[in-house]
Amino acid sequence: MKLHFNIVIYLYCLIMLFTSCDKIITLPFTDNDSRVIIEANITDQSGPYIVKLSRSINIDQSNIYPVIDNGTVIISDNTGVKDTLKYSSVGIYKTKLIRGVYGRTYSLEVTVDGKKYTAQSTMPDKVNLDSLRINTFPINGKNQYSIIPVFTDPLELGNSYRFIQQINDTLDNNYNIFNDNLNNGKINQRPLGPPKKDISIKNFDIITVEMQCITTSAQLYYFTLSQQSGAGPGGGTAPTNPPNNIVGGALGLFSAHTSQTKTIRIPN
Amino acid sequence: MLLINRKCLFLLILFIIGVTQSIQAQEKTTVNGTVKDKLSGESIIGAVIKIDQLANVVVTSNEYGFFAISLPKGKYDLRISFVGFEEKKVPISLNGPLSISIFLESKNQLAEVVVESKRKDDNLIKAQMGTETLNMKSISKVPVIFGEKDVLKTIQLLPGVKSAGEGNSGFYVRGGAADQNLILLDEAPVYNASHLLGFFSTFNSDAIKDATLIKGNAPAQYGGRLSSVLDVKMKEGNNKHYTVNGGLGLISSRLSIEGPIQEDKSSFILSGRRTYADVFLKASDKFKDNILYFYDFNAKANYIINEKNRIYFSGYFGKDELGLGSSFGINWGNKTGTVRWNRVINNKLFLNTSFIYSDYSYTVGLKNGETNFNVNSNIKDANIKQDYTFYMNPKNTIRFGFNSILHTITPSIFSGTVNNSVNKVGRNGLENAVYFNNNFKANQQLTFDYGFRASAYSIMGGDVYNLYNGNEKTSSILLQKNSFGKTYLNLEPRFTSNYRINDFSSVKIAYARNVQHLHLLSNSTASSPSDQWIGDSYNIRPELADQTSIGYTRNLKNNTYELGAELYYKEMQNQLDYKDGTNINTIADVESALLYGIGRAYGFELLAKKKTGILSGWISYTLSKTERKIEGINGGNWYNAKQDRTHDISIVTIVELNPKWSVSGVFVYNTGNAVTFPTGKYSLGGQTIYQYANRNTNRMPTYHRLDLSVTYENRDRKKHETSWNFSLYNVYGRENAYRISFQDDPLDNTKTQIVQTALFRWVPSVTYNFKF
Repeated sequence: MKLHFNIVIYLYCLIMLFTSCDKIITLPFTDNDSRVIIEANITDQSGPYIVKLSRSINIDQSNIYPVIDNGTVIISDNTGVKDTLKYSSVGIYKTKLIRGVYGRTYSLEVTVDGKKYTAQSTMPDKVNLDSLRINTFPINGKNQYSIIPVFTDPLELGNSYRFIQQINDTLDNNYNIFNDNLNNGKINQRPLGPPKKDISIKNFDIITVEMQCITTSAQLYYFTLSQQSGAGPGGGTAPTNPPNNIVGGALGLFSAHTSQTKTIRIPN
Repeated sequence: MLLINRKCLFLLILFIIGVTQSIQAQEKTTVNGTVKDKLSGESIIGAVIKIDQLANVVVTSNEYGFFAISLPKGKYDLRISFVGFEEKKVPISLNGPLSISIFLESKNQLAEVVVESKRKDDNLIKAQMGTETLNMKSISKVPVIFGEKDVLKTIQLLPGVKSAGEGNSGFYVRGGAADQNLILLDEAPVYNASHLLGFFSTFNSDAIKDATLIKGNAPAQYGGRLSSVLDVKMKEGNNKHYTVNGGLGLISSRLSIEGPIQEDKSSFILSGRRTYADVFLKASDKFKDNILYFYDFNAKANYIINEKNRIYFSGYFGKDELGLGSSFGINWGNKTGTVRWNRVINNKLFLNTSFIYSDYSYTVGLKNGETNFNVNSNIKDANIKQDYTFYMNPKNTIRFGFNSILHTITPSIFSGTVNNSVNKVGRNGLENAVYFNNNFKANQQLTFDYGFRASAYSIMGGDVYNLYNGNEKTSSILLQKNSFGKTYLNLEPRFTSNYRINDFSSVKIAYARNVQHLHLLSNSTASSPSDQWIGDSYNIRPELADQTSIGYTRNLKNNTYELGAELYYKEMQNQLDYKDGTNINTIADVESALLYGIGRAYGFELLAKKKTGILSGWISYTLSKTERKIEGINGGNWYNAKQDRTHDISIVTIVELNPKWSVSGVFVYNTGNAVTFPTGKYSLGGQTIYQYANRNTNRMPTYHRLDLSVTYENRDRKKHETSWNFSLYNVYGRENAYRISFQDDPLDNTKTQIVQTALFRWVPSVTYNFKF
C-alpha cells in the first residue's frame, strides 16, 4: 500500500532530519538509446484529442525534447471510425472526428521513419466523482489537510483511478493511483497523498482535483512510476521503464479515460 | 540426480568406515560431563577436552556444555580449555561409566579478540568451514553506531558478510538475500531481526552469551535457509549469586538481572531495553506528536532436575512503535519462546527436546476523520525438535534427529473502514525434516563432518491456491481445512572435511545443499517491516542452493596470527521476484505477480587475525560477485543482485593500553551497491520521466568509514565493575551515499539534478555500563 510506504518514508525522514544531508553530485553516464515517446489520450470530454510524439534524450542534456513532426498518427475505434490525425505543432497531432465514448475500444497506429507502433485502449465506464471532502488531522499542534475524493466504486472488480491534484495554480506532480483491490464496491475512504515536496495544503487554498477512470494498463504504468524513488539502500524498488500498452518499442502510454474535475476551498 | 546419488553413496561409504572402525575397539567405558564457568555456573559451549595419554582424542562440549568420550578402562588426565579461561587438568580413573562436572576459572588478563576460536589452534582441527563465533564479552569494545554493542553489526565486519545499508542490522551472506539467513535465538527463528528500521538489532547484548555464524556449510541439524545460519544463544543466568548489569546510552538504556533461584540448581536472567528518543521529541513543539521507540525483553530460566535432566525456558518479546499522534501508527515485533529439555539417556547418548514458538507481526494503523483502518500481517511457527548426540567412540560423534514446524502465514489483511476486495486468509504449511550427521576423525590429520537432511514442506488447506502459467491463471485448487496439498521433498547432502597438513596449516573442503521453503517478498530495496513472507505453493517451489567451498588456514608465531582463505561457488534455484508495478500489500493474489529464476554467487575471502596481545584484531577482505537471472526482468538476462559489491574490506583493531584503557577502531571500505540509474529522460504529461536501460549496471559511490572508540573500565572493587565507552561513528564525516535521486533542478528546470542523500555524518555516543 502506497500510503504506509509513505509513512515509512516519512519516519525515515524524521530520523534523517537531525543528521542527513543532501548534496548535488555528478555521475558519469553511458549513452542513452533514444526512443520514440508517444503520449496519447482519449477522454470522454469533447475533442480534439491530442497525440504528442517526441524522442527521449540523454540524462545530462537540457530538457529540450526533440519533437517528431513527420509521423503519421491514426486512431480508429471499434465502431468503424478511422481518424488520421493532423499535425499541429511542437510534436502535437490532433483528432478530427473520433469521439470518446465509454466502453469503446480505440486503436492507435503511429508510424515514424517507417517504423510502426500500435496500441489499444478501452475507455472504462464513468464512475462519478460526487464531491471532495477535506480531511483534517492535527499533527504537532498544527492542522494538516488532505483531500478525499468521494465516489462509489462499482460492484465488479477491476476499476482503476488516477487523481490529479492542483493546489491553487500549482500542479502536484505526485501520482495518486487507486484501484479496487481495496474496498471494492464501496464509497471511497482513502485520501489523496500529500502534495510533493515544498507544497502543502493550507487554509484558504483552492484545491482542484481531476478524477480519471483509467484502464488497468494505465494503472500499472502510473503505479510503477509512483514507486520509483531513487537508487541505493534508501531508494524504492529497482526502477525500470514502466510497462506500457504500446507495441513496437516506444515509451509512453495510450490511455482512454474519463475526466471529471471538482474544486474545494480549505476554510479557515 | 545422479550426482546426488553418487554423493550419498560416498557419504554412506564414509559412514561405514567410521562404524567398522569402532567394532574393532577393545572393552571401553565412557566418561561424560559438563563444562561450566566457575564464577557464574554458565555452561561453556565449545570447550575443548583433550587427553594427555591419547594425543588424537579431541572432544568439544556441545550447546549445553555437555561432552562424552568412550575410552578403554584406565587412568587418564583430561585437559580442558576454553578461550578466556585457565586450562584445567582433571585426572580420572576410569573403571566404569563416570560423570564429572568441570568448572573453569576465567583468566584475569587482557581480553582477547572478538572473533575467537575455542582453542588457539582449533581452526586447524575442525572440519567446519565458514564458521565464526562471536563472544559477547569481547565485542563490547568494537565501535558501533549509537554506542550499542550489537552482534548483527559486528558480524558484518567478517569476510563474506555484507551490511544491508548504513547503520543497518540486515546482512547478506555470500551473495544471498537478507531473507536467506536463518537467525535463531535459543533455537527459535527470528523473522525480523531489526528494530527502528534496522538501526538496532533485536539482540540485547546483555542477554546474549554468544553467536555463531555459519556461511552456507552448516551441519545437518540446521536447515531452512539458503545462505547462512546465525545461531544466537542467550545467557543462562548466574547460578551462584545475583548480578545486575546495565547500560545508559544517549538513545537507549538497558538493564538485566541474573541470579540463582536455588543455588547450583536453577537460575534466571531477565533483561530489558528501551530507546527514549521519543522523550526528546515530546519536549519539542514541532515533533511532540511523533512516536518513535522500541523496547525488548529477554527472559530465561533453567532448572537442573537431576544429574541426567535439565530444563530450560527462554523467551523474547520485542516491539517497535512508530507513529504520528493518533493519526498514523506502525508497530511490529517478534515473540519467541523455547522450552528445552536436556536428557543424558546414557553415558553415550545425549538428547535435547525443544518446543519452540515464534511469532512476528506487523500492524499499520491509520485514523483520520471517517477513515480508520488497520493492516496486519504475521507469521507464526509452532515447532518441535529432537536432537540426539551419540558419542559412539572417540572417532565418531553422531547427531541425528527431527524437526517439525507448523507455519501460519497471514499476508497483509485490511480491517476497519478499508478492506480487501477479495477476502484473504492465512495459510498453513508443515515443514518436516530428519537429519543425520557424523563427525568422524579418521586420524590426527583428517576429519570429516558429513550427513544429510531430508526436508519436506506440505501445503496445507484452508485457502484457494491458484495455478499460473506466466500471467495466465490456469486453474484453482480449493484445499479443505486440515487437509494436505502438494508436498515438496528434498534431500540435502552436507559434507565438510579438514586435512591438517602440519602443526600450523590445514586445508578444508565442503559441499552443502540447502533448501528454503519460506520466501520474503520485499517492497523496497531497504529492509522494511512490511516485507511479507510466503510459503511454498503450487507455483512457488522450494529455493535450492548448492555451495562448494575450499579453504586454507595457516597459523603463525605460535598461533598468535591466523590467516585464512576461502573460495566459494554457489548456485541458487527457484529464486523469487515480482513484476514491476506490483503492490504486494494490496494485490488479491500475490502469486499472480511472481517471477522465478536462478542465481549464482562466487567469491574469495581472506581473513587475517591477530588473536592475542596488546594489539589484536583482524583484517577481512572479500572479492565477490552475485547475479540473478529471472524471466521477465532485464530481458531474461543475467544481472547483478543489488548486494553485489566487488570489494569489501573491514579492519578491526583493539589496543589494550592498560587494564583500564583501551582504544579500538573499525575501518570499512566497499564497492557501492549495484543500482540502476536512468540513462535518459523524456516528457509525459508535463513531467520529466526517466528512461532506464539494463538493471543494476550502475554503482553507488564507494563506501568507506572509520569509527573509533575509547573504553575506560574500572574493576577496582571485586564485585562492582563500571565502564565508560566513548565512540565516534564516521570519524572523518564522509557523506556516504544512502540514496541517489534524480530531479528537475529547482532553479533551472531545463536541467536534471542528481541529489545524493547521506544518512549520517558524525555520530558521537557515550555509554555508561555497570555491573554489580
